[in-house]
Amino acid sequence: MKLNTAMTVNRITDEIWEIPVSEKPGMLVPARIYATEHILTGMDSGVFEQVTNVACLPGIRRYALCMPDGHWGYGFPIGGVAEFDPREGIISPGGVGYDINCGMRLIRTDLTLADVQPKLEALMTELFRTVPAGVGSKGFVRLNRQDFDDMLRKGARWCIERGYGWHEDLQRIEERGCIPGADPAKVSAHAVERGINQLGTLGSGNHYLEVQVVADDRIFARETAAKLGITGRDQIVVMVHCGSRGFGHQVASDSLKIFEKAMKRYGISVKDQQLACAPFRSPEGQDYFSAMNCAANSAFANRQVITHRIREAFARVFARSAEELGMHIVYDVAHNIAKVERYEEGDLVVHRKGSTRAFGPGRPELPELYRETGQPVICGGSMETGSYLLVGTDRAMHETFGSTMHGSGRTMSRAQAKRSVRGDQLQRQMASRGIIVKAVSMSGLAEEAGFAYKNISEVVETVDLAGITKKVAELRPIGNIKG
Amino acid sequence: MAPFTFLEDIALSDAAFEATGATPSELFQSAAQAVIETLADPRSVAPTWRRVVERQDQDLADLLFEWLSDIVYLKDAEGVVFRTAETVVSQETATGPWRLQGLLMGEPIDPKRHELRADVKAVTKHLYEVRREDRHGKEQWLARVVLDI
Repeated sequence: MKLNTAMTVNRITDEIWEIPVSEKPGMLVPARIYATEHILTGMDSGVFEQVTNVACLPGIRRYALCMPDGHWGYGFPIGGVAEFDPREGIISPGGVGYDINCGMRLIRTDLTLADVQPKLEALMTELFRTVPAGVGSKGFVRLNRQDFDDMLRKGARWCIERGYGWHEDLQRIEERGCIPGADPAKVSAHAVERGINQLGTLGSGNHYLEVQVVADDRIFARETAAKLGITGRDQIVVMVHCGSRGFGHQVASDSLKIFEKAMKRYGISVKDQQLACAPFRSPEGQDYFSAMNCAANSAFANRQVITHRIREAFARVFARSAEELGMHIVYDVAHNIAKVERYEEGDLVVHRKGSTRAFGPGRPELPELYRETGQPVICGGSMETGSYLLVGTDRAMHETFGSTMHGSGRTMSRAQAKRSVRGDQLQRQMASRGIIVKAVSMSGLAEEAGFAYKNISEVVETVDLAGITKKVAELRPIGNIKG
Repeated sequence: MAPFTFLEDIALSDAAFEATGATPSELFQSAAQAVIETLADPRSVAPTWRRVVERQDQDLADLLFEWLSDIVYLKDAEGVVFRTAETVVSQETATGPWRLQGLLMGEPIDPKRHELRADVKAVTKHLYEVRREDRHGKEQWLARVVLDI
């Protein structure tokens, strides 16, 4: 087996690989990568280097983990998971990412492909008009500073209070859409100025809004799917992928500067400047945690306002209310976040960067609705190939701190993708395959071509075989909005 | 040598570039132009909006980092994309702080007219480097920058 690393990588099972602490000076715990042999051999050298760098961070417990969609990132690899003792461990913005609480939301409908197909062009046009996307786009919600601060404290609950959603929505969002401890006094004026006009916007890059179809033969666990509101028979669902926009990006940038200086004070040295960190209990660590929670709440609110606009757009196009169309949220999950969660060892500061929480059945954090099935997990693939709905397992609680994959992961640079296809060509090719794409940026569209990404099905099979999440349904795109 | 070149191999999911200049002023202008061109095609943007940015820092690399971060901040806070940047970077004494006087020109974002590209989230410190080289007796300034997209 030829890997992109000279380190020793031991096979634990067919889907778990371990790099022992002897492979790098300073490693406090082993690094574990979840991958098939085929996925592992395709992983870039950055994954091995970065996951072992993470294993050196103070206070880390058990393992530094990387999921099968892992690839090089800033500081932590994308797909990285690490958990730290809150008393002696650190918190690191590099373990969260610049787009704090970038995440996925899935909304079900009672509509079928037969209902939607004749109106698909009109639907995509309406969604493109209604949900702003692209560089610097502004949302329709006008907020003053007091409103903005309230939104940062309350997250999705702030939206529900203002009529942007249904009361039942909150129980279908990780942390009920509001992480406690968000303190707007801990965010900079720059962060507020970047974010105050962006509530309810998608952004660009790999963010999207997608209309998808669930074919009957692509449901893998029918009983679980039904409990999640997924009935198959060419059912239409809507997926949203976006995060905390300019506000969250600025919170991350601000904190890295503060942490670079703080590390000297606390005598912490790291193997990569982007792993800048501070003790979790330190003033700097707590200030970042408060600011990061503000950004996390703003991302929950962002996806909530977008959900409101999606429901409005569907209601206009199909001349029926969103309630009549059965547009319930299935779930909303963060895949760039640090949180305090309780495990066998007690409370731990869990960092997930390009990784999704995947709590198994029975966890008290889950709403009654999903206590029996396990937490819904939403994994987005490329806009050409499709996405997956999965559920968390008890095994994930013991092995991966209730964490799993988040998407498919890039394999080709943006420039190479643009050289391979033009945006307008790709748009026509996808239209001929029945996928209508509306994009603000044609070059941005080309960068997101399906061939620039890993095969998501192989990644999903890996976490399913490893037992850290179980697949429920595959979701095939028929319409996509991109920034 | 071109004022900047996009680098493909060091940031698969993002955008990286190397900017050059015969002086720090030229380097700052080249690097700014690389960020500007990542956001939108500057040929589609008119110079109707102007903003002067003044900063100083003991460290030239930190000053460049803040200058590029200012462009990303203004994109969101002012809702603009850019056409050009002009820069004067100077140091009064050999040990004194570096001073930047920058001028950004652009206009409020209009997706109908502007050829928008990627929404840059942040300037990163990943592989970030500013260095001076002597090439055939001539001073050359270089910066390697990775932008998170």
